[in-house]
Amino acid sequence: MKAQTRRQWITTHEWMVKPMRQTEWISGQGILVWLAEVFSALGMGTYLVGLIAGIWEISAWAFWATVIGWLLIVLFKFPLHLVYLGKPLRFWRAFPPFSKAWKTSWMARGVVFTTVFVGVGFFQNVFWYFLRWGDLSASGAGALTVLAWITGLVAGVFMVLTGVYCGFAMSYCKGVQFWNTGLLPIVFVLMGLADGLALSMGVILATGAGEGTIATLESWTRVLLIVNALLIAGYLIRAYRRHAAAEMAAQDLVKGSTAGVFWILLVLLGIVTPFVLSVVTAFMESNAEPILIVAIVCHTIGAFALKYSVLKVGIYRSILPGVA
Amino acid sequence: MRWGMVINLAKCMRCHACVAACRIEHFLPLHITWVKLIAYEVDEAGAVDVSTYPVRCNQCADAPCVHACPTEASHQREDGIVVIDSDKCIGCRYCVIACPYQNRTFVNKEKDPGYFPGFERTRFEKMGQKLYPHQRGTTEKCNFCVERVDYGLERGLRPGIDRDATPACVNTCQARALTFGDLDDPDSNVNQLIRKHDGFQLRTEYGTDPSVWYVDYRLGGNDNKAPRDAQTGHHIQHLSSVDRDAYRRIFGRDKEDAEVTS
Repeated sequence: MKAQTRRQWITTHEWMVKPMRQTEWISGQGILVWLAEVFSALGMGTYLVGLIAGIWEISAWAFWATVIGWLLIVLFKFPLHLVYLGKPLRFWRAFPPFSKAWKTSWMARGVVFTTVFVGVGFFQNVFWYFLRWGDLSASGAGALTVLAWITGLVAGVFMVLTGVYCGFAMSYCKGVQFWNTGLLPIVFVLMGLADGLALSMGVILATGAGEGTIATLESWTRVLLIVNALLIAGYLIRAYRRHAAAEMAAQDLVKGSTAGVFWILLVLLGIVTPFVLSVVTAFMESNAEPILIVAIVCHTIGAFALKYSVLKVGIYRSILPGVA
Repeated sequence: MRWGMVINLAKCMRCHACVAACRIEHFLPLHITWVKLIAYEVDEAGAVDVSTYPVRCNQCADAPCVHACPTEASHQREDGIVVIDSDKCIGCRYCVIACPYQNRTFVNKEKDPGYFPGFERTRFEKMGQKLYPHQRGTTEKCNFCVERVDYGLERGLRPGIDRDATPACVNTCQARALTFGDLDDPDSNVNQLIRKHDGFQLRTEYGTDPSVWYVDYRLGGNDNKAPRDAQTGHHIQHLSSVDRDAYRRIFGRDKEDAEVTS
């Protein structure tokens, strides 16, 4: 009988044979991981911008930026991760000294980083509150300033680590070639900072304090947006050249089923629109608030789109040498 | 001592007995299989070729899943077997993502709806819930029937030779395609097979050093001396799922050259 097809697949485990997407961290309950990581990036960016601004002067907006950044981690990232776990009540097992897995596991390290940040960040915020609004004696203010500096430094370092560990955790996955690169954590951190700058501008608008700072933040936003655009382009080019499975993921992102999220939500709304709006507001003399609000919303949409796109196109290589 | 398995691809006749034996041994839920059989039937110009890859957890010497686990629930025993302590697993699924061989499964309601969804659990399932419980919200995988290995060793039996100390899939295989033994012993049955037939592992480029090896008698007969990449290349021909460019990218030469070599 003449063959009807050149080849026939009768495999029952296609995901092992063909390059296919990971689903655990983006589909079904996996959406919680996506949201948690978005809030992680937003929290990191907002907190760090507030913290850096507070080095010169603990202004009202800098204080509220650190508080909001801290709250994003405590109220969103942490609970979302917790709810995602199959056995949430056992989460304590990931903490030292119950586990020594932090030596090798980025997930365990993330738990430690987040916990330290939440603890130290709380005290940093309290110290800042009293330094800003407290009725302190000169010696009391001096001691509190030292404490605020120490806690701010520790919390800042652990905030960066909290924002970056997800990128390292993903880049550790050898089977997902698109993630398996050291560029991923850098992309996540810089995008988080850009989004944090935007949220901080929102804090300035809401508190009505430090409006003169908006122009400075906007100029930084423009720089970061350009850097991020180049970084994402470089990431994709590298993926195209790296391996067939990574190339497949990049193609999916650029012209496949995830292209809508990538081009419209991430590139157009998340990068191009905020950049154009920030250039426009730079030339406006007054009443730029509505445009700023639009830019902040676009930035935030971009933050959601970035993590979604990267998680969505996490394509595994097949386990057999035959394909990709 | 490092336990390992050699799978003879030429002998495997795709009967799925290993899959069934594993299910029975561990009372596996409906949608969970620790041992999987990847089977192809390639029909090219009337010439039908069959290729079958039985796969299971590779018990990697440098296991990414063990490094990824945040609670040390996944750990490696001294004999190289990677096991999961279900009571420690928090269900973060990082190991599922990190395993480059995709051999881990997260147990949830969808994976364990009962053998007859909507109806009462069978007596077999009820017995399994007592003897070999599968905790929802945790991760599972093949463990080389570690309970059988330990049971046998306690009684002075030899895993891979004595049935009571040997994994269920190996015992069941009627084609004798599966061989279990000590990879650290140069004279063991598995090492002899690997040497004689130029065995190969899956995806060695990950550097995980799997304990599951594959051999194929079809390639050059019993005195096969074909280089390993040519042997792997031959399998690709069996699979027929790779185009000329992809082949060249993977092996650095043309498909036709491999045919000549092998």
